[in-house]
Amino acid sequence: MQVIENDLIKEKVYIEKLKSGLTVMFIPRKGTNKKYITFATNYGSMDNRFIVPGEEEITEVPDGVAHFLEHKLFEQENGHNSLDVLSSLGVNANAYTTNNHTAYLYECTNNFYEALDEFMNYVQSPYFTDENVEKEKGIINQEIGMYDDQPDWKVYLNALDSLYVNNKVKLDPAGTVESVSKINKEILYKCYNNFYKLSNMAIVVVGDFEKEEIFNEINKRIIKNEDTTIAKKVVDKEPDKINKKEIYEKMDVNIPLFILGIKDKIENNNSLNNSKLQIKKHIAIDIILDILVGNSSALFNKLYDEGLIFSEFTSIYEYARDYSHILIQNQSFEYKNVIKEIKNSIEFLKKNGINEDEFERMKKKNYGMYVKEFENIADLGNNFMESYFKGVNPFDFIDESQNIDKQYVESVLREIFIEDKMTLSVVANK
Amino acid sequence: MKEKIINIKKGIKLHLINTDLFKTDLSVIFITIGLDKKNITKDVIIPEVLKSGSKTYKKQIDISNKLNNLYGSTLETGTDKTGKNLVLKLYTESVDDIFLPNEEKNLKECINVLLDITFNPLVKNDSFDEKYVEIEKERQKMIIESEKDDKDTYAYDKIINIMYNDCGYGIKKNGYLEDIKNINGKNLYERYKEIISKGKIDIFVSGNIENKHIEESIKNNKLIESLSDRDVSCYLNDIEKQEKEEVKQINKIEEKMDVTQGKLVVGLDVVGKTNADDRFKILLYNTILGDGANSKLFRIVREKESLAYTSKSNYVVQKSNIFIRAGIEVDNYEKTLNLIEEQLEDMRNGNFTEDDIENAKRFIYAGIDSIKEEQNTAIIFYYGEEMSKNKISIEEYYDKIKNISKEDIIKIAKKVKINTVYFLRN
Repeated sequence: MQVIENDLIKEKVYIEKLKSGLTVMFIPRKGTNKKYITFATNYGSMDNRFIVPGEEEITEVPDGVAHFLEHKLFEQENGHNSLDVLSSLGVNANAYTTNNHTAYLYECTNNFYEALDEFMNYVQSPYFTDENVEKEKGIINQEIGMYDDQPDWKVYLNALDSLYVNNKVKLDPAGTVESVSKINKEILYKCYNNFYKLSNMAIVVVGDFEKEEIFNEINKRIIKNEDTTIAKKVVDKEPDKINKKEIYEKMDVNIPLFILGIKDKIENNNSLNNSKLQIKKHIAIDIILDILVGNSSALFNKLYDEGLIFSEFTSIYEYARDYSHILIQNQSFEYKNVIKEIKNSIEFLKKNGINEDEFERMKKKNYGMYVKEFENIADLGNNFMESYFKGVNPFDFIDESQNIDKQYVESVLREIFIEDKMTLSVVANK
Repeated sequence: MKEKIINIKKGIKLHLINTDLFKTDLSVIFITIGLDKKNITKDVIIPEVLKSGSKTYKKQIDISNKLNNLYGSTLETGTDKTGKNLVLKLYTESVDDIFLPNEEKNLKECINVLLDITFNPLVKNDSFDEKYVEIEKERQKMIIESEKDDKDTYAYDKIINIMYNDCGYGIKKNGYLEDIKNINGKNLYERYKEIISKGKIDIFVSGNIENKHIEESIKNNKLIESLSDRDVSCYLNDIEKQEKEEVKQINKIEEKMDVTQGKLVVGLDVVGKTNADDRFKILLYNTILGDGANSKLFRIVREKESLAYTSKSNYVVQKSNIFIRAGIEVDNYEKTLNLIEEQLEDMRNGNFTEDDIENAKRFIYAGIDSIKEEQNTAIIFYYGEEMSKNKISIEEYYDKIKNISKEDIIKIAKKVKINTVYFLRN
């Protein structure tokens, strides 16, 4: 069993790959009654082209299959819906689909093991029929409709579309009404059978458990699955260049929403093989974004005082093995001016370097931010799951944020914040 | 996790919640005042102006720099309608001292910043800084003009406004456009002084606070010392005093907008006399009807009929209202509404099982359990009880739910009547 820990924030994780191939991570939380568990497969909405073991042809499935599977797994052959069963035990169950993984989870204070029976069983026991698959389409179409009415979501998806030529990160995880209409039970079984193999999956469990007991209890509930061959995901080569400089979409909104996107070089992500390096880069980007557009930045305060923006910027660095980008978002009637000002600030910072005091303040600020990510047990579990599939260790944030130096951050600024790699996504009334 | 309440002055309380379960500490100031159309626009702008600068930290950037130095402590402000009241909220969250790389007094410093921003505003000649006021007026204008951008929230706020008009609970939570232009630094500061001298003030500090002398430090704070006693009994909620009549005719309203999905909201009244324990029975009724995966609305409208992705209801305790919400295909309006009415009728006829009741009770117990496990949930719970005429403890809360019978729920169900149906469509 592998143990990773951090003394400063007093956290520890036990990691073991069970015989079945399933990886289990346990984060002990002494003294809390609340417990959290998440069970995920390394298969998400991007993975719609793959090669089945033993075949040569590429299998292509409609967009939205991973998300459809997430909805449908709850349905059981005995007629039960596992979401109902879990809810009636008083546990709070849910599931979600991201670009690269699909997770099933619950949080509870009581009945943890009763719920674990149902939970581990349903994820390992698909039951799809023509009828139950058809019925789900109405629900999913309403989910798509709900997101269609959200300008935030639109501006985000369009930003990804502006950045990527081929990469499937730009797809809506739910698919479209049209692609969903093509999904049937055969497709669902095919994807399930190829990607829901225990060697492609992981569990993170957080709570006040005895270590041996929790590993044992999970192990006991494994339904035999010795096949460890996993379909090979087909990833199209992504060029370095951006897809489109600008994307505009008309929607019924008062103030235009915009995202400034910055595409990072994908091969830069080779550092993923080295968690410390990748996280160092992540911290550097967080610090740069704070200095550029954070709530204590000169730019934010100027734009706010001038009435060009009305709220703080949201900025984020998102990455996995085959995509990597930065998004800076806000709302403004004069978004073109705001974008120009951000770009000027970037050039100014490149030319003049980062102020020493500001750098030290941002190091402290980000340290606090990273500690806060270890607060809520559900966030903690999700964070470890996502990091596991990415191949990074979240504890590295705590250590590296104290060690990072200014010269390195400045080199990241020069390398990534490049005009040619910037795009603009706008949602506006006209 | 236990709450210790200290009366600082008449109408001003300090609530200390000592716990070592968390990595962060929360410090919160709630100022409760009466909800009033005349003042709402000023009231929602005030916390934002406070956040722009104080006498100690003159500019927003000074506050941000200070908080960043306190290891990314955060300051958030806002206002909420709670029944007949409006509550002004100022929150800070800071990493607890024991998780810092160096020895520091993060929590204490953070509390001082919070107190300074709330009670030591930047004032010159009996006026807030006009520049900050103008910025926040402009910002509030934008917020009001952007209300339609979020269609789900818009639909929900709209039905409340329709049911209560522009008085009491129907007052618009973001204020009124026509009132913004008359606001200036002077009259806004006048209103601030009124709030600070008449409002009910509750300060919560939650986290690892043992041996940090928080109580003394707040009691002896000069800004706190300068506050005067006030009578706050008028703000307490008294649901048993309410007596609603059934509407003669259900109000049905449709509004057209550029939406993909129709947003249906059904506003329900609990009519007749309400007594103190009814809030627990209505909560249980609502859970069976529309809260969670076992609820009728989820199982029937979503899972069985595939009409919606969102299909749920929520209970507004201070007003004895339940609101049902569903996102549906516009053409399915009649069908969905009929189904919802059937569920309400089923509840009245007792067409739900003992299992349904037990499931709903467990769902509520899980919510009660999380009061002890989430700092913010605990603060919201303690604040809710603080504002209630009939206060209960967490333990009593379990018992109140446990003792509810099927007959109790049916009695409630018979009092639940549709008041208004609102549909946002294309």
